[in-house]
Amino acid sequence: MNDTNATKILLVEDNEINRDMLVRRLTRAGHTVICAADGEQALEIMRNEQPTLVLLDMNLPIKDGWTTCREARADSLIRHQPIIALTAHAMENDRQTALNIGCNDYATKPIDFPELLGKIAKFVSL
Amino acid sequence: MKTLRGKFSLRARLYLFSAAIITLFAVNVATHVWGSFARSESLVAYRDAVTASQLITDLEQSLEANRQQILVLATLRETTEQPLGDQERLSALEEIDAISQRLRRLGGLDGGGTDDYYRRLHKSATQLIDEWQFFYNNYNRASARFDVESSVSYNNSRQRLQELDKRQEYLAVQRSEAIDRTINLTDRITVIGFVTTIAVTMLLVIALIRSTNASLQRLKIGVQRFGSGDLTHRMDTRRDAGEIGELAKTFNDMSSKLQMAIDDVRAAKADADAANAAKSMFLANVSHELRTPLNAIIGYSEMLQDEIGDPQAVDRDQFSHDLGTIIFSGRQLLSLINDILDLSKIETGKMHASNEWFNPAELIFQVCDSLSPLVSQKNNTLKLCVDIDGMGDIHSDRSKLQQIVTNLFSNACKFTEKGDIRVTASKQGDYLHLIVADTGIGMTTDQQARVFDAFVQAEVTTGTEYGGTGLGLAIVKDFCQILGGDITLTSTLGAGSSFEVMIPVDQESDHASA
Repeated sequence: MNDTNATKILLVEDNEINRDMLVRRLTRAGHTVICAADGEQALEIMRNEQPTLVLLDMNLPIKDGWTTCREARADSLIRHQPIIALTAHAMENDRQTALNIGCNDYATKPIDFPELLGKIAKFVSL
Repeated sequence: MKTLRGKFSLRARLYLFSAAIITLFAVNVATHVWGSFARSESLVAYRDAVTASQLITDLEQSLEANRQQILVLATLRETTEQPLGDQERLSALEEIDAISQRLRRLGGLDGGGTDDYYRRLHKSATQLIDEWQFFYNNYNRASARFDVESSVSYNNSRQRLQELDKRQEYLAVQRSEAIDRTINLTDRITVIGFVTTIAVTMLLVIALIRSTNASLQRLKIGVQRFGSGDLTHRMDTRRDAGEIGELAKTFNDMSSKLQMAIDDVRAAKADADAANAAKSMFLANVSHELRTPLNAIIGYSEMLQDEIGDPQAVDRDQFSHDLGTIIFSGRQLLSLINDILDLSKIETGKMHASNEWFNPAELIFQVCDSLSPLVSQKNNTLKLCVDIDGMGDIHSDRSKLQQIVTNLFSNACKFTEKGDIRVTASKQGDYLHLIVADTGIGMTTDQQARVFDAFVQAEVTTGTEYGGTGLGLAIVKDFCQILGGDITLTSTLGAGSSFEVMIPVDQESDHASA
């Protein structure tokens, strides 16, 4: 895990159970995962660690996913980092809003893990 | 015309109009009658004047003839002394009688202004006739002497007769002139009256038509505005009295009622839209809330399924812990579904209180006892202060009160660490007074304002950090209201919250169940 040049995924999720579950499954699938529990923390890690991909929950404390995504897209340092939105908001317009504010993809909870892996594969090569 | 339109109703206007025309016609008829009367009066006066003139001429001639005859007889008597025959005497007396009759006829004619003249004539003529009668009656008596030459009374009579004639003539002329003037006047009045009647009638007809037309025009414009949908428009009802004003008022009323009906429909539509939006929002929230625990359940189950196929990865303790997580999420899902069902029942008005007599102190003890693990979980201390003796039984819905106490109590435990949970219950008047207070994290004013709304937790974090669905307090508030009471909250951020419940001791005596 000290290989800073390797590809790594930033998982931003405030629900501890869901966060642990995803970390374990992604790790098992061979990914390097780092975590953040709120939007503020996420932006900081994005700037400092330059993750290959960000999995961003939308329902976050302190700074929610929507704001975090908008701010990331406005920051020249991290605006290119791909973001996949993860949310329990399953309405069609939620998906559209996420894509409009600059998310690269969108996954609905409960997560279909193989499908999520497929989406991750577009941005992260193992 | 403005005042005509303003002050009088249409009916009053018609009545006035008819009255004015009838009055004008009456004036016309009266002047006409007056003129006719003057004409006939003038005719009578003319006939009288003619008769009088004839009689006067006759009398003059008769007097003249008799005078001549008497003069002749007197001369004969002196020269021949021949007696007068009876025959002759009688005819002469008859002649004189005829003269006195004519005289009386003359007096009988209407002699306005000639009475004095006639009296004088009558006096002189009577004297003359007496002299003449005396002459004829005593003609044959030799001793009788007549002074026929001296003609005082004859001349007097003639003179009076002429005076009367002149007077008669003068009066006749005067009278006929007066009558002519009257006739001229009445003729002129009749003509003027007739022309005036026609003119005034025409003016009145025009005024009536114009005023009625103007009123109807205003009505028409008003109704057209109503018809085009401008229901805030109001016709000026002060400008028309009576029927048209009433009609305008009726139209205004109709418009108001229409407006109200439309407003009602709009309000109903807005309510329906709001309810629909709320329902969509509710559904979106429900979907969101259900997906969160499902995510954990499905995720962990899939993960365990993967791991069980890889013997190296199986760690029994980890395995057991993960199963616990699945069970916890499943329970959370179940309580979420139960809460949603409760809330949906409340919102559709299907949630009713089923009242029974029970001891609330007992119920509070039971709840606190069963939830005591929650208290110790975060090292809290429970302080129960229930007035068992003073409380007695209450008539309310046991299961709803139980859920109220459970939700408040578990909330207090959830948001407090190493602090106090204080449950106080007593009877105050007709109300059960329950306070669940904690020394936990507390809430800001903004959070307090929204904490009873469905799907709201004080902070988005609280859901994950403290668990819960965000429906508990919404249900508590609704239940309090269904039980005829209410709930209030006082809270200080960082110092704790206090929920205060007031529920009627006998719900049915004060409140109908909601």
